[in-house]
Amino acid sequence: MADYREMWSNLDMDLEKHDVLCQVLPEVFGEVYLSQQKRPRGMDFYDFVVSEIHGVRPAELIEHQKSGGKVFGTFCVYVPDEIVFAAGGIATGLCGGSQFWVAAGEKVLPPNTCPLIKASVGARLDKTCPFFRIADMFVGETTCDGKKKAWEILASEVPMHVIDIPQMKRAQDVNAFEREIHSFIKVVEDFTGSKISADSLGESIKLINNKRKALQRLYEARKAAAVPISGKDALLVTQIAFYDDPSRCAQMANQLSEELEERISRKEGVFPEDTLRIMISGTPMAIPNWKLHHIVETSGAAVVVEESCTGTRYFENLVDETAPTLERQVRALAERYMKTNCACFTPNSARIDDILRLAEEYKVDGIIDTNLQFCNLYSTESHLVKQALAEKNIPVLHLETDYSEQDFEQLRTRVQAFLEMLRE
Amino acid sequence: METDNRFYILFPNHHQGLRLSQLLRERGIDYLIAPTPRQLSTCCGISLIVKGGDLEEASQVIAEHEIVVEKIAPAPKRDGDWKYRSC
Ligand code: SF4
Ligand code: SF4
Repeated sequence: MADYREMWSNLDMDLEKHDVLCQVLPEVFGEVYLSQQKRPRGMDFYDFVVSEIHGVRPAELIEHQKSGGKVFGTFCVYVPDEIVFAAGGIATGLCGGSQFWVAAGEKVLPPNTCPLIKASVGARLDKTCPFFRIADMFVGETTCDGKKKAWEILASEVPMHVIDIPQMKRAQDVNAFEREIHSFIKVVEDFTGSKISADSLGESIKLINNKRKALQRLYEARKAAAVPISGKDALLVTQIAFYDDPSRCAQMANQLSEELEERISRKEGVFPEDTLRIMISGTPMAIPNWKLHHIVETSGAAVVVEESCTGTRYFENLVDETAPTLERQVRALAERYMKTNCACFTPNSARIDDILRLAEEYKVDGIIDTNLQFCNLYSTESHLVKQALAEKNIPVLHLETDYSEQDFEQLRTRVQAFLEMLRE
Repeated sequence: METDNRFYILFPNHHQGLRLSQLLRERGIDYLIAPTPRQLSTCCGISLIVKGGDLEEASQVIAEHEIVVEKIAPAPKRDGDWKYRSC
Protein backbone atom coordinates (compact mmCIF):
# COMPACT_ATOMS: atom_id res chain seq x y z
CA MET A 1 0.00 0.00 0.00
CA ALA A 2 1.04 3.52 -0.68
CA ASP A 3 2.58 4.90 2.44
CA TYR A 4 2.22 8.64 2.75
CA ARG A 5 3.11 8.77 6.41
CA GLU A 6 6.45 10.40 5.78
CA MET A 7 4.89 13.12 3.66
CA TRP A 8 2.21 13.71 6.29
CA SER A 9 4.63 13.95 9.15
CA ASN A 10 6.80 16.35 7.16
CA LEU A 11 3.67 18.47 6.93
CA ASP A 12 3.49 18.34 10.71
CA MET A 13 0.16 16.54 10.61
CA ASP A 14 -1.38 14.78 13.56
CA LEU A 15 -1.07 11.25 12.21
CA GLU A 16 -3.04 9.59 14.95
CA LYS A 17 -6.06 11.81 14.54
CA HIS A 18 -5.78 11.71 10.78
CA ASP A 19 -5.85 7.96 10.95
CA VAL A 20 -9.36 8.03 12.38
CA LEU A 21 -10.57 9.80 9.23
CA CYS A 22 -8.76 7.29 7.03
CA GLN A 23 -10.63 4.50 8.77
CA VAL A 24 -14.10 5.78 8.01
CA LEU A 25 -13.75 7.00 4.44
CA PRO A 26 -13.34 3.60 2.71
CA GLU A 27 -16.47 2.24 4.35
CA VAL A 28 -18.60 5.29 3.61
CA PHE A 29 -17.36 5.62 0.04
CA GLY A 30 -17.98 1.94 -0.52
CA GLU A 31 -21.57 2.17 0.67
CA VAL A 32 -22.49 5.54 -0.78
CA TYR A 33 -20.67 5.34 -4.09
CA LEU A 34 -19.44 1.90 -5.03
CA SER A 35 -22.78 0.25 -4.32
CA GLN A 36 -24.41 2.22 -7.16
CA GLN A 37 -25.36 0.26 -10.25
CA LYS A 38 -24.50 1.04 -13.89
CA ARG A 39 -21.93 3.67 -13.08
CA PRO A 40 -20.06 5.09 -16.07
CA ARG A 41 -16.57 3.62 -16.50
CA GLY A 42 -15.29 7.19 -16.55
CA MET A 43 -15.91 7.35 -12.79
CA ASP A 44 -12.80 5.20 -12.35
CA PHE A 45 -10.67 8.30 -12.28
CA TYR A 46 -12.75 9.90 -9.53
CA ASP A 47 -12.82 6.68 -7.50
CA PHE A 48 -9.06 6.71 -7.80
CA VAL A 49 -8.83 10.31 -6.61
CA VAL A 50 -10.97 9.55 -3.55
CA SER A 51 -8.97 6.42 -2.80
CA GLU A 52 -5.77 8.47 -2.78
CA ILE A 53 -7.40 11.64 -1.51
CA HIS A 54 -4.68 12.73 0.89
CA GLY A 55 -1.87 11.22 -1.14
CA VAL A 56 -1.57 11.78 -4.86
CA ARG A 57 -2.67 15.41 -5.22
CA PRO A 58 -0.88 16.63 -2.08
CA ALA A 59 2.29 14.96 -3.41
CA GLU A 60 1.87 16.85 -6.69
CA LEU A 61 1.45 20.14 -4.84
CA ILE A 62 4.58 19.47 -2.81
CA GLU A 63 6.51 18.73 -6.02
CA HIS A 64 5.32 22.08 -7.34
CA GLN A 65 6.61 23.77 -4.20
CA LYS A 66 9.95 22.01 -4.46
CA SER A 67 10.45 23.57 -7.87
CA GLY A 68 9.74 26.99 -6.40
CA GLY A 69 5.98 27.22 -7.02
CA LYS A 70 3.40 28.50 -4.57
CA VAL A 71 0.08 26.98 -3.57
CA PHE A 72 -2.94 29.18 -2.76
CA GLY A 73 -5.85 27.78 -0.77
CA THR A 74 -9.26 29.26 -1.55
CA PHE A 75 -12.74 29.02 -0.03
CA CYS A 76 -15.17 30.57 -2.47
CA VAL A 77 -16.14 30.60 -6.13
CA TYR A 78 -15.67 34.38 -6.28
CA VAL A 79 -11.90 34.02 -6.00
CA PRO A 80 -10.44 34.29 -9.51
CA ASP A 81 -8.15 31.26 -9.86
CA GLU A 82 -6.98 32.69 -13.20
CA ILE A 83 -4.74 35.18 -11.39
CA VAL A 84 -3.00 32.47 -9.38
CA PHE A 85 -2.33 30.25 -12.38
CA ALA A 86 -1.18 33.23 -14.48
CA ALA A 87 1.63 33.73 -11.95
CA GLY A 88 2.65 30.08 -12.11
CA GLY A 89 0.91 29.28 -8.83
CA ILE A 90 -1.66 26.59 -8.11
CA ALA A 91 -5.04 27.37 -6.55
CA THR A 92 -6.74 24.65 -4.59
CA GLY A 93 -10.16 24.69 -2.97
CA LEU A 94 -10.06 24.19 0.79
CA CYS A 95 -13.70 24.22 1.88
CA GLY A 96 -14.12 21.62 4.60
CA GLY A 97 -16.90 19.11 4.03
CA SER A 98 -16.06 16.61 6.71
CA GLN A 99 -17.88 16.16 10.00
CA PHE A 100 -14.59 14.92 11.33
CA TRP A 101 -13.19 18.47 11.39
CA VAL A 102 -16.19 20.15 12.94
CA ALA A 103 -15.30 19.46 16.57
CA ALA A 104 -11.91 21.14 16.24
CA GLY A 105 -13.58 24.18 14.71
CA GLU A 106 -16.05 24.28 17.58
CA LYS A 107 -13.22 24.76 20.03
CA VAL A 108 -12.65 28.28 18.73
CA LEU A 109 -15.88 29.23 16.96
CA PRO A 110 -19.34 29.96 18.35
CA PRO A 111 -21.66 26.94 18.19
CA ASN A 112 -24.01 28.74 15.81
CA THR A 113 -21.44 28.80 13.01
CA CYS A 114 -22.11 26.84 9.84
CA PRO A 115 -20.37 23.45 9.61
CA LEU A 116 -18.46 24.45 6.50
CA ILE A 117 -16.67 27.18 8.41
CA LYS A 118 -16.18 25.00 11.48
CA ALA A 119 -14.74 22.20 9.37
CA SER A 120 -12.45 24.55 7.44
CA VAL A 121 -11.02 26.08 10.60
CA GLY A 122 -10.91 22.71 12.33
CA ALA A 123 -9.03 21.05 9.47
CA ARG A 124 -6.26 23.57 9.84
CA LEU A 125 -6.09 23.76 13.63
CA ASP A 126 -6.31 20.02 14.13
CA LYS A 127 -3.57 19.33 11.57
CA THR A 128 -5.55 16.57 9.93
CA CYS A 129 -5.76 17.72 6.31
CA PRO A 130 -2.66 17.84 4.10
CA PHE A 131 -4.15 20.49 1.81
CA PHE A 132 -4.55 22.89 4.72
CA ARG A 133 -0.93 22.24 5.70
CA ILE A 134 0.46 22.62 2.19
CA ALA A 135 -1.10 25.91 1.08
CA ASP A 136 1.46 28.75 1.31
CA MET A 137 -1.22 31.39 1.37
CA PHE A 138 -4.94 31.32 2.14
CA VAL A 139 -7.21 33.55 0.10
CA GLY A 140 -10.36 34.51 1.97
CA GLU A 141 -13.19 36.77 0.90
CA THR A 142 -15.75 39.05 2.45
CA THR A 143 -18.85 37.00 1.79
CA CYS A 144 -20.65 35.88 4.94
CA ASP A 145 -19.93 37.09 8.46
CA GLY A 146 -18.83 33.70 9.70
CA LYS A 147 -16.14 33.44 7.09
CA LYS A 148 -14.95 37.02 7.50
CA LYS A 149 -14.26 36.42 11.16
CA ALA A 150 -12.79 32.99 10.56
CA TRP A 151 -10.11 34.54 8.35
CA GLU A 152 -8.88 36.51 11.32
CA ILE A 153 -8.39 33.29 13.24
CA LEU A 154 -6.71 31.49 10.35
CA ALA A 155 -4.49 34.50 9.65
CA SER A 156 -2.47 33.68 12.75
CA GLU A 157 -1.62 30.34 11.13
CA VAL A 158 -0.96 31.07 7.47
CA PRO A 159 -0.36 34.22 5.37
CA MET A 160 -3.86 35.38 4.45
CA HIS A 161 -5.15 37.68 1.78
CA VAL A 162 -8.80 38.67 1.90
CA ILE A 163 -10.56 39.75 -1.29
CA ASP A 164 -13.23 42.36 -0.77
CA ILE A 165 -16.32 41.03 -2.51
CA PRO A 166 -19.04 43.62 -3.11
CA GLN A 167 -22.44 43.02 -1.55
CA MET A 168 -24.43 44.52 -4.38
CA LYS A 169 -24.17 44.35 -8.15
CA ARG A 170 -24.49 47.94 -9.27
CA ALA A 171 -22.06 49.26 -11.89
CA GLN A 172 -19.88 50.78 -9.17
CA ASP A 173 -19.69 47.40 -7.44
CA VAL A 174 -18.40 45.67 -10.55
CA ASN A 175 -15.84 48.47 -10.87
CA ALA A 176 -14.85 47.98 -7.26
CA PHE A 177 -14.37 44.27 -7.83
CA GLU A 178 -12.25 45.04 -10.87
CA ARG A 179 -9.96 47.14 -8.69
CA GLU A 180 -9.92 44.36 -6.14
CA ILE A 181 -8.67 41.94 -8.79
CA HIS A 182 -5.87 44.38 -9.59
CA SER A 183 -4.88 44.38 -5.92
CA PHE A 184 -5.00 40.59 -5.89
CA ILE A 185 -2.66 40.54 -8.90
CA LYS A 186 -0.18 42.62 -6.95
CA VAL A 187 -0.41 40.31 -3.92
CA VAL A 188 0.06 37.20 -6.03
CA GLU A 189 2.94 38.74 -7.97
CA ASP A 190 4.74 39.74 -4.80
CA PHE A 191 4.18 36.36 -3.19
CA THR A 192 5.24 34.27 -6.18
CA GLY A 193 7.89 36.65 -7.48
CA SER A 194 6.54 36.39 -10.99
CA LYS A 195 4.91 39.04 -13.07
CA ILE A 196 1.53 38.48 -14.67
CA SER A 197 1.33 39.49 -18.32
CA ALA A 198 -1.53 39.68 -20.80
CA ASP A 199 -0.09 36.50 -22.31
CA SER A 200 0.05 34.51 -19.11
CA LEU A 201 -3.35 35.74 -17.98
CA GLY A 202 -4.78 34.98 -21.42
CA GLU A 203 -3.49 31.42 -21.07
CA SER A 204 -4.94 30.92 -17.63
CA ILE A 205 -8.30 32.39 -18.67
CA LYS A 206 -8.42 29.69 -21.36
CA LEU A 207 -7.28 27.04 -18.89
CA ILE A 208 -10.06 27.77 -16.41
CA ASN A 209 -12.65 28.32 -19.16
CA ASN A 210 -11.81 24.88 -20.54
CA LYS A 211 -12.47 23.38 -17.16
CA ARG A 212 -15.80 25.22 -17.00
CA LYS A 213 -16.72 24.08 -20.50
CA ALA A 214 -16.00 20.46 -19.63
CA LEU A 215 -18.19 20.66 -16.52
CA GLN A 216 -20.91 22.40 -18.53
CA ARG A 217 -20.76 19.53 -21.01
CA LEU A 218 -21.10 17.01 -18.21
CA TYR A 219 -24.13 18.82 -16.79
CA GLU A 220 -25.63 19.08 -20.26
CA ALA A 221 -25.70 15.28 -20.36
CA ARG A 222 -27.80 15.25 -17.18
CA LYS A 223 -30.62 16.95 -19.06
CA ALA A 224 -31.31 13.74 -20.98
CA ALA A 225 -34.60 11.95 -20.32
CA ALA A 226 -32.69 8.81 -19.33
CA VAL A 227 -30.12 10.35 -16.97
CA PRO A 228 -26.75 8.78 -17.84
CA ILE A 229 -25.04 9.57 -14.52
CA SER A 230 -26.23 9.70 -10.93
CA GLY A 231 -26.37 12.97 -9.06
CA LYS A 232 -23.92 11.57 -6.54
CA ASP A 233 -21.36 10.88 -9.24
CA ALA A 234 -21.81 14.28 -10.87
CA LEU A 235 -21.43 15.93 -7.46
CA LEU A 236 -18.19 14.05 -6.90
CA VAL A 237 -16.81 15.30 -10.21
CA THR A 238 -17.55 18.91 -9.22
CA GLN A 239 -16.18 18.45 -5.71
CA ILE A 240 -12.91 17.10 -7.08
CA ALA A 241 -12.73 19.88 -9.68
CA PHE A 242 -12.00 22.31 -6.84
CA TYR A 243 -8.62 20.92 -6.13
CA ASP A 244 -7.52 18.90 -9.11
CA ASP A 245 -5.19 20.21 -11.77
CA PRO A 246 -7.50 22.27 -14.04
CA SER A 247 -6.35 20.79 -17.35
CA ARG A 248 -6.59 17.22 -16.06
CA CYS A 249 -9.99 18.09 -14.63
CA ALA A 250 -11.14 19.23 -18.07
CA GLN A 251 -9.67 16.18 -19.76
CA MET A 252 -11.33 13.72 -17.39
CA ALA A 253 -14.68 15.49 -17.40
CA ASN A 254 -14.64 15.57 -21.21
CA GLN A 255 -13.77 11.90 -21.36
CA LEU A 256 -16.60 11.09 -18.98
CA SER A 257 -19.00 13.31 -20.95
CA GLU A 258 -18.14 11.44 -24.13
CA GLU A 259 -19.19 8.21 -22.46
CA LEU A 260 -22.38 9.86 -21.18
CA GLU A 261 -23.20 11.14 -24.66
CA GLU A 262 -22.85 7.61 -26.01
CA ARG A 263 -25.21 6.43 -23.30
CA ILE A 264 -27.68 9.13 -24.26
CA SER A 265 -27.60 8.05 -27.90
CA ARG A 266 -28.45 4.52 -26.72
CA LYS A 267 -31.08 5.93 -24.32
CA GLU A 268 -29.26 4.20 -21.50
CA GLY A 269 -29.82 5.69 -18.07
CA VAL A 270 -28.69 4.83 -14.56
CA PHE A 271 -32.19 5.00 -13.08
CA PRO A 272 -35.42 3.26 -14.05
CA GLU A 273 -37.65 5.18 -16.44
CA ASP A 274 -39.98 7.69 -14.77
CA THR A 275 -37.62 8.26 -11.85
CA LEU A 276 -38.38 11.66 -10.32
CA ARG A 277 -35.95 14.42 -11.31
CA ILE A 278 -34.82 16.62 -8.45
CA MET A 279 -32.84 19.84 -8.34
CA ILE A 280 -30.88 20.65 -5.22
CA SER A 281 -30.32 24.36 -4.70
CA GLY A 282 -28.53 26.20 -1.94
CA THR A 283 -25.25 26.07 -0.06
CA PRO A 284 -22.18 24.18 -1.27
CA MET A 285 -21.48 20.53 -0.48
CA ALA A 286 -17.76 20.19 -0.05
CA ILE A 287 -16.22 16.73 -0.27
CA PRO A 288 -17.06 14.33 1.49
CA ASN A 289 -20.53 15.73 2.14
CA TRP A 290 -22.78 13.38 0.15
CA LYS A 291 -25.59 13.13 2.66
CA LEU A 292 -28.52 14.72 0.87
CA HIS A 293 -27.72 13.21 -2.53
CA HIS A 294 -27.50 9.83 -0.88
CA ILE A 295 -30.89 10.28 0.74
CA VAL A 296 -32.57 11.38 -2.48
CA GLU A 297 -31.02 8.71 -4.65
CA THR A 298 -31.72 5.88 -2.24
CA SER A 299 -35.33 7.05 -2.04
CA GLY A 300 -36.14 6.42 -5.68
CA ALA A 301 -35.34 9.83 -7.19
CA ALA A 302 -32.46 11.28 -9.18
CA VAL A 303 -30.62 14.52 -8.55
CA VAL A 304 -30.22 15.99 -12.03
CA VAL A 305 -28.73 19.40 -11.21
CA GLU A 306 -27.26 21.36 -8.31
CA GLU A 307 -27.81 25.10 -8.20
CA SER A 308 -24.94 25.61 -5.80
CA CYS A 309 -21.25 26.41 -5.62
CA THR A 310 -20.55 22.70 -5.98
CA GLY A 311 -22.73 22.81 -9.08
CA THR A 312 -23.76 25.35 -11.66
CA ARG A 313 -22.47 28.40 -9.79
CA TYR A 314 -18.96 27.01 -10.18
CA PHE A 315 -18.86 26.82 -13.95
CA GLU A 316 -21.68 28.81 -15.53
CA ASN A 317 -20.53 31.88 -17.49
CA LEU A 318 -17.17 32.00 -19.22
CA VAL A 319 -14.59 34.77 -19.14
CA ASP A 320 -14.28 36.62 -22.46
CA GLU A 321 -11.12 35.24 -24.07
CA THR A 322 -10.73 37.98 -26.65
CA ALA A 323 -9.68 40.82 -24.36
CA PRO A 324 -6.39 42.12 -25.81
CA THR A 325 -4.79 43.82 -22.80
CA LEU A 326 -4.29 43.02 -19.15
CA GLU A 327 -6.66 45.85 -18.21
CA ARG A 328 -9.41 44.48 -20.40
CA GLN A 329 -8.81 40.93 -19.19
CA VAL A 330 -9.26 42.05 -15.60
CA ARG A 331 -12.47 43.80 -16.62
CA ALA A 332 -13.65 40.59 -18.27
CA LEU A 333 -12.86 38.65 -15.11
CA ALA A 334 -14.77 41.13 -12.95
CA GLU A 335 -17.76 40.92 -15.25
CA ARG A 336 -17.80 37.14 -15.28
CA TYR A 337 -17.41 36.68 -11.53
CA MET A 338 -20.07 39.25 -10.76
CA LYS A 339 -22.55 37.15 -12.74
CA THR A 340 -22.39 34.46 -10.05
CA ASN A 341 -25.40 34.67 -7.78
CA CYS A 342 -24.76 33.95 -4.11
CA ALA A 343 -27.05 34.86 -1.24
CA CYS A 344 -24.34 37.12 0.19
CA PHE A 345 -25.51 39.73 -2.34
CA THR A 346 -28.53 41.97 -2.01
CA PRO A 347 -30.76 41.88 -3.86
CA ASN A 348 -30.12 38.45 -5.27
CA SER A 349 -33.14 37.99 -7.51
CA ALA A 350 -30.92 36.72 -10.32
CA ARG A 351 -30.41 33.54 -8.30
CA ILE A 352 -34.13 32.94 -8.34
CA ASP A 353 -34.10 33.47 -12.10
CA ASP A 354 -31.31 30.89 -12.28
CA ILE A 355 -33.35 28.38 -10.29
CA LEU A 356 -36.40 28.89 -12.51
CA ARG A 357 -34.31 28.56 -15.67
CA LEU A 358 -32.54 25.42 -14.45
CA ALA A 359 -35.84 23.87 -13.38
CA GLU A 360 -37.00 24.16 -16.94
CA GLU A 361 -33.73 23.18 -18.63
CA TYR A 362 -33.36 20.04 -16.52
CA LYS A 363 -37.10 19.30 -16.48
CA VAL A 364 -37.18 18.84 -12.75
CA ASP A 365 -40.21 17.50 -10.91
CA GLY A 366 -39.31 19.23 -7.68
CA ILE A 367 -36.65 21.24 -5.90
CA ILE A 368 -34.96 20.69 -2.58
CA ASP A 369 -33.71 24.06 -1.44
CA THR A 370 -31.20 23.43 1.28
CA ASN A 371 -28.80 25.28 3.45
CA LEU A 372 -26.20 24.35 5.96
CA GLN A 373 -27.25 24.85 9.52
CA PHE A 374 -26.72 28.44 10.75
CA CYS A 375 -26.29 29.79 7.25
CA ASN A 376 -28.40 32.84 7.78
CA LEU A 377 -28.04 34.08 4.20
CA TYR A 378 -29.40 31.06 2.36
CA SER A 379 -31.88 30.30 5.07
CA THR A 380 -33.40 33.78 4.80
CA GLU A 381 -33.35 33.68 1.02
CA SER A 382 -35.24 30.40 1.04
CA HIS A 383 -38.38 32.37 1.80
CA LEU A 384 -38.14 34.23 -1.50
CA VAL A 385 -37.15 31.06 -3.34
CA LYS A 386 -40.25 29.34 -2.00
CA GLN A 387 -42.44 32.27 -3.00
CA ALA A 388 -41.12 32.39 -6.55
CA LEU A 389 -41.46 28.65 -7.00
CA ALA A 390 -44.99 28.65 -5.64
CA GLU A 391 -45.94 31.22 -8.27
CA LYS A 392 -44.70 28.86 -10.95
CA ASN A 393 -46.25 25.81 -9.32
CA ILE A 394 -42.90 24.13 -8.84
CA PRO A 395 -42.92 22.00 -5.68
CA VAL A 396 -40.16 22.81 -3.23
CA LEU A 397 -38.94 21.42 0.05
CA HIS A 398 -36.68 23.49 2.25
CA LEU A 399 -34.18 21.58 4.38
CA GLU A 400 -31.56 22.71 6.82
CA THR A 401 -28.86 20.25 7.74
CA ASP A 402 -25.29 19.86 8.90
CA TYR A 403 -22.54 17.30 8.29
CA SER A 404 -23.51 14.89 11.04
CA GLU A 405 -25.45 11.67 10.70
CA GLN A 406 -27.82 12.63 13.53
CA ASP A 407 -30.58 14.00 11.35
CA PHE A 408 -30.21 11.39 8.61
CA GLU A 409 -33.39 9.43 9.34
CA GLN A 410 -35.39 12.55 9.95
CA LEU A 411 -34.25 14.07 6.65
CA ARG A 412 -34.98 10.85 4.88
CA THR A 413 -38.54 10.82 6.18
CA ARG A 414 -39.09 14.37 4.99
CA VAL A 415 -37.54 13.73 1.58
CA GLN A 416 -39.58 10.58 1.13
CA ALA A 417 -42.79 12.40 2.02
CA PHE A 418 -41.89 15.10 -0.52
CA LEU A 419 -41.22 12.51 -3.22
CA GLU A 420 -44.45 10.77 -2.35
CA MET A 421 -46.29 14.02 -2.87
CA LEU A 422 -44.58 14.53 -6.24
CA ARG A 423 -45.65 11.08 -7.36
CA GLU A 424 -49.30 11.76 -6.63
CA MET B 1 -21.44 -5.34 -9.17
CA GLU B 2 -22.90 -7.92 -6.78
CA THR B 3 -22.08 -7.18 -3.17
CA ASP B 4 -21.17 -10.58 -1.79
CA ASN B 5 -18.31 -12.84 -2.78
CA ARG B 6 -15.99 -10.00 -3.67
CA PHE B 7 -12.24 -9.76 -3.31
CA TYR B 8 -9.89 -6.86 -2.74
CA ILE B 9 -6.58 -6.73 -4.56
CA LEU B 10 -4.05 -4.54 -2.72
CA PHE B 11 -0.95 -2.96 -4.26
CA PRO B 12 2.30 -1.46 -3.02
CA ASN B 13 1.52 1.73 -4.98
CA HIS B 14 -1.23 3.19 -7.13
CA HIS B 15 0.68 2.74 -10.39
CA GLN B 16 0.32 -1.02 -10.12
CA GLY B 17 -3.36 -0.71 -9.32
CA LEU B 18 -4.08 1.60 -12.22
CA ARG B 19 -2.16 -0.66 -14.61
CA LEU B 20 -4.17 -3.66 -13.54
CA SER B 21 -7.44 -1.75 -13.88
CA GLN B 22 -6.48 -0.95 -17.49
CA LEU B 23 -5.70 -4.57 -18.24
CA LEU B 24 -8.89 -5.85 -16.63
CA ARG B 25 -10.88 -3.33 -18.60
CA GLU B 26 -9.29 -4.54 -21.84
CA ARG B 27 -10.12 -8.14 -20.93
CA GLY B 28 -13.69 -7.23 -20.09
CA ILE B 29 -13.33 -8.24 -16.44
CA ASP B 30 -15.51 -6.19 -14.11
CA TYR B 31 -13.71 -4.30 -11.33
CA LEU B 32 -14.08 -1.31 -9.04
CA ILE B 33 -11.39 1.08 -7.91
CA ALA B 34 -11.86 1.47 -4.17
CA PRO B 35 -10.14 2.91 -1.13
CA THR B 36 -8.57 0.08 0.86
CA PRO B 37 -10.67 -0.84 3.89
CA ARG B 38 -8.92 -0.47 7.20
CA GLN B 39 -9.58 -4.11 8.09
CA LEU B 40 -7.24 -5.16 5.27
CA SER B 41 -4.39 -2.73 5.64
CA THR B 42 -3.29 0.12 7.88
CA CYS B 43 -2.23 2.22 4.89
CA CYS B 44 -4.63 4.06 2.65
CA GLY B 45 -4.67 4.02 -1.10
CA ILE B 46 -6.32 2.24 -3.96
CA SER B 47 -7.37 -1.36 -4.22
CA LEU B 48 -9.32 -3.12 -6.91
CA ILE B 49 -12.47 -5.07 -6.12
CA VAL B 50 -13.22 -8.08 -8.32
CA LYS B 51 -15.95 -10.68 -8.16
CA GLY B 52 -15.07 -14.07 -6.74
CA GLY B 53 -15.93 -15.68 -10.06
CA ASP B 54 -13.40 -13.48 -11.88
CA LEU B 55 -10.59 -13.93 -9.41
CA GLU B 56 -8.87 -16.70 -11.30
CA GLU B 57 -8.81 -14.81 -14.56
CA ALA B 58 -7.66 -11.66 -12.78
CA SER B 59 -4.83 -13.61 -11.16
CA GLN B 60 -3.75 -14.81 -14.59
CA VAL B 61 -3.60 -11.22 -15.83
CA ILE B 62 -1.57 -10.28 -12.76
CA ALA B 63 0.93 -13.09 -13.43
CA GLU B 64 1.16 -12.49 -17.18
CA HIS B 65 1.86 -8.79 -16.79
CA GLU B 66 3.96 -9.08 -13.65
CA ILE B 67 1.77 -6.70 -11.68
CA VAL B 68 3.07 -6.32 -8.16
CA VAL B 69 0.31 -7.18 -5.75
CA GLU B 70 0.55 -6.84 -2.00
CA LYS B 71 -2.25 -9.16 -1.15
CA ILE B 72 -5.61 -10.49 -2.23
CA ALA B 73 -8.27 -10.84 0.44
CA PRO B 74 -12.00 -11.44 0.66
CA ALA B 75 -14.04 -8.27 1.18
CA PRO B 76 -14.73 -7.71 4.87
CA LYS B 77 -18.26 -8.78 5.78
CA ARG B 78 -20.67 -6.22 7.10
CA ASP B 79 -23.32 -7.31 9.52
CA GLY B 80 -26.82 -6.38 8.51
CA ASP B 81 -27.88 -3.21 6.77
CA TRP B 82 -25.44 -0.37 6.57
CA LYS B 83 -26.47 2.73 8.47
CA TYR B 84 -25.39 6.05 7.06
CA ARG B 85 -22.49 7.65 8.81
CA SER B 86 -20.63 10.83 8.10
CA CYS B 87 -16.97 11.01 7.32
S1 SF4 C 1 -22.10 30.00 -1.08
FE1 SF4 C 1 -21.42 32.10 -1.52
S2 SF4 C 1 -19.81 32.47 -0.04
FE2 SF4 C 1 -20.11 30.25 -0.12
S3 SF4 C 1 -18.61 29.52 -1.65
FE3 SF4 C 1 -20.53 29.92 -2.68
S4 SF4 C 1 -20.30 32.01 -3.48
FE4 SF4 C 1 -18.78 31.75 -1.88
S1 SF4 D 1 -22.85 28.04 3.87
FE1 SF4 D 1 -23.52 30.10 4.44
S2 SF4 D 1 -22.66 30.45 6.50
FE2 SF4 D 1 -21.59 28.70 5.57
S3 SF4 D 1 -19.78 29.58 4.63
FE3 SF4 D 1 -21.35 29.48 3.04
S4 SF4 D 1 -22.39 31.49 3.11
FE4 SF4 D 1 -21.20 31.25 5.00
